[in-house]
Amino acid sequence: MRKFTKPTWLAIGWLSLMMFFAIFGWVLPFKSWNFVYEDDLEVGLFTNGHILGTDSNGYDLLASIVAGTRMSIFIAIAAVGLGGLIGSVLGITAAYVRGKVDTVMVTIFNVGLSVPNLVLALALVSVLATNVDINQAVPTWRRVMVLIMSLTIVLIPILGRIARGATLSWTGREFVTAARSMGMRDSKIITKHIVPNVLPALIAVAFLAVGVVIIAEASLSILGVGIPDGASWGGMIARGRNDLEYAPHVLYVPIFFLALTVISTNHLGDVVRAQLDSREAKV
Amino acid sequence: MSSLLSIKNLGVNFDTPRGSLEAVRGVDIEIPAGTSVGVVGESGSGKTVMCRAAMGLLQGSNVQRTGTVVFDGNELTAMTKEQVRNLFGSGMAMIFQDPMTALNPVRRIGSQLSEGLRVRLGMSKKDAMVRSKELLELVRIPNPTAVLKSFPYQLSGGMRQRVMIAIAIACNPKLLFADEPTTALDVTVQAQILQLLRELREDLKMSMVLVTHDLGVVAGNTDFVAVMYAGEVVEYAPTTKLFADMRMPYTEALLESIPKIDHKSGTRLSVIAGRLPNPTDRGVGCGFAPRCKYAQEKCHTQHPELQKDPDGHLYRCWFPIGKAL
Amino acid sequence: MAGSGTAHMRNSVDSVLTVRDLTVEFKISKDKVVKAVSGLSFDVVKGETLAVVGESGCGKTTLARAILQLPPPNSGEVIFNGTDLTSLPKENLRSARTSMQMIFQDPISSLDPRMTVQQLIDEPLEIWGRGTREERNERINTLLNNVGLEPELVLNRRSYEFSGGQCQRISIARALALDPRMLICDEPVSALDVSIQAQILNLLQDMKDRFGLTMIFISHDLAVVKAVSNRVMVMYLGKICEVATPDALYSKPAHHYTKALLDSVPIADPTRQRKTELLQGEPPSPMNPPSGCRFRTRCHAASVRCAEQEPQLQEVAPGQFVACHHPIV
Repeated sequence: MRKFTKPTWLAIGWLSLMMFFAIFGWVLPFKSWNFVYEDDLEVGLFTNGHILGTDSNGYDLLASIVAGTRMSIFIAIAAVGLGGLIGSVLGITAAYVRGKVDTVMVTIFNVGLSVPNLVLALALVSVLATNVDINQAVPTWRRVMVLIMSLTIVLIPILGRIARGATLSWTGREFVTAARSMGMRDSKIITKHIVPNVLPALIAVAFLAVGVVIIAEASLSILGVGIPDGASWGGMIARGRNDLEYAPHVLYVPIFFLALTVISTNHLGDVVRAQLDSREAKV
Repeated sequence: MSSLLSIKNLGVNFDTPRGSLEAVRGVDIEIPAGTSVGVVGESGSGKTVMCRAAMGLLQGSNVQRTGTVVFDGNELTAMTKEQVRNLFGSGMAMIFQDPMTALNPVRRIGSQLSEGLRVRLGMSKKDAMVRSKELLELVRIPNPTAVLKSFPYQLSGGMRQRVMIAIAIACNPKLLFADEPTTALDVTVQAQILQLLRELREDLKMSMVLVTHDLGVVAGNTDFVAVMYAGEVVEYAPTTKLFADMRMPYTEALLESIPKIDHKSGTRLSVIAGRLPNPTDRGVGCGFAPRCKYAQEKCHTQHPELQKDPDGHLYRCWFPIGKAL
Repeated sequence: MAGSGTAHMRNSVDSVLTVRDLTVEFKISKDKVVKAVSGLSFDVVKGETLAVVGESGCGKTTLARAILQLPPPNSGEVIFNGTDLTSLPKENLRSARTSMQMIFQDPISSLDPRMTVQQLIDEPLEIWGRGTREERNERINTLLNNVGLEPELVLNRRSYEFSGGQCQRISIARALALDPRMLICDEPVSALDVSIQAQILNLLQDMKDRFGLTMIFISHDLAVVKAVSNRVMVMYLGKICEVATPDALYSKPAHHYTKALLDSVPIADPTRQRKTELLQGEPPSPMNPPSGCRFRTRCHAASVRCAEQEPQLQEVAPGQFVACHHPIV
């Protein structure tokens, strides 16, 4: 880890804080996030023990934000992790084996990429996670599952293509031919030679993907097909939409967290990519 | 013979994360008008950096260039980028090692050729195309009309190199920098390209700086040779004199170590021990001393200055070959 | 130029590699086929270094890969150590390959940049279970010393920390790890600086003498080839032009292409520059090679017969074979 600049340290710091909230948030002595504080409606910052204030419904913002962090980060990591895993397995295999398998996989990827992401998510959520009777709420965990699933499906072709491209460039190198000529099995070549060299590129993209997914989830929540009841950042924005005129801090808080997190992941993604490029340049 | 290009004390430093990299130091070269000068060197010798620096092509905030370069009476090092750029085309031109990256892959040959003519000489589109065809004929490309309409990827390496030469000579430059123009080509194509360059030089009265690592190429295509090692010019002489009566142990060792086609087969090659110098760590003394079989104490501790024989032969050695001590 | 013919084959019991009628073709699209290697036959005898010379597009690298079955040729036999590699099932092929190793042109990209030198050379030993960890480490040290590298200085470093020459030494050490019988060197010094080339060439020669290796040396550099080979095979557009010993080939080339090739090599002596006429034009496309002799389109000695009938290799002097209807005498 050579010299990191200040912005990089800030990004790392912020994301660490987010991860801390995500993992330990529920044991921290914050006020309850879905308890309605009827006496403190729409109070501003630092009033009555509500560090970040409350919204017009009486929900404590800090507690909400911490709870929201957990949800948003969990969804992002799950979707990117699953999508990345499946996508890279498909992409790497396709690029290594070539031939018909590759052609089929590329077609699948292209079809996947041509479907508008949010529309797909909307459709899936509507079909799988909404009751016909709109008055009966759907369990949150079901929404979460469907959300993760749809975001994963969207990510598979994106990450798969990148994995495929990286693999193509590495299998062309002579050390792969050398490995074959010394009698190494193909499966071992992939795990020992291809994957470690493709991984850094994927990690760099994964960082960027996390940022994109967080925003995607927020967008879906604002549209009403994401996490209900303000349990995520997007949900908070959705919930606080009406407060913009009188209590704007209700919106600023989740927006601020969202923006900083995405900026941080993007920045770290760039840093990883830059490290990668300098290493590649030597090869 | 007056000098067409005069390089004095040229130095180039790069700031890298690993420290300051001295690519070129204290280079003095005179290119007389109407001649061809070869610059021979291996990796780390600084030959390519020197040419780019002389032409003012080195960009970047991490580059420091020192020294003076005078071309045809113009002091390039004191001019602005714009002014230097105006000299390109009709004054100086350059051809590179890899024609594939030097040509724009998404533009047709005709358009790339005529661009220079239209911008530099103010020709109309039609005239430029006619002249472009003439240029392709000049570089002996068969079927020029078809080539004008082609893209670079449709041509072979040799053809692309000819196109690059055509672009370079389009405005009849006085001086052509050829940076390893044939290194990436097959040997029969190389011979053709070198012959083409020889003929063009004569027809267009053009001077040339030919950068290469191949002593064979230098032997047949240059009037003068400058040998570079570790960022410096270590020997400079007329070509015939250099091969017949060399002074630098490096030049001698280099010549001895290259396999020759008229040697007996199966002979063991004579080797220069050690590795090429590291540009980030020049050290004191002569750059070649660690590998020189004649090296003495003085060579490791004192950096040799450039010495000059009465006949103009320059060399940088405390104990040159063929000179009484 | 021949379907080679087989006049130059020696059919000796000492033959390490015998290639018969090898053909490698790449299908680009429905009707476009690149005929990279067309019906080549040759043999390599124990302890010999066969040089394969030609310019880009002649098929020499494709030939090398085809011998290793990477990928396997379209047709033909590759008999190595008595077995035909083309007919071996996958598992047997894997183990057969270990007797035949390859050194590549680009020294740095032939080493996985993520692995240390220790891991790189250990890899083949570990795949085939050649000994315990200590025994393998000892062998690695020996191999590194053989190629002129000090183990303590290199074991824990990675390929991008080394120069081209050092990387090539590491590649050679790795190739020798499994005690191969034959080494195929594909332009091993082309990417190296001139003053380093001699070091690596001498090293290869030393390894060959010490371990009794048989070598195939592929190069476009005629001068390099002369220094290292016992027998030279000149290729053009997928076919063999001429096969001879270096001395014969270089002093009295019988094929017009060989002569043109030799005439193009720059001479490092300003007083001895040639005034011969150069070979003009470019090689035709391998998708559409000329009928009969493939060199006829650029040959000033070409006749009608050259277009109609493909020349076969015939002996024009002891040990010198040429595929030409009008060889230089």
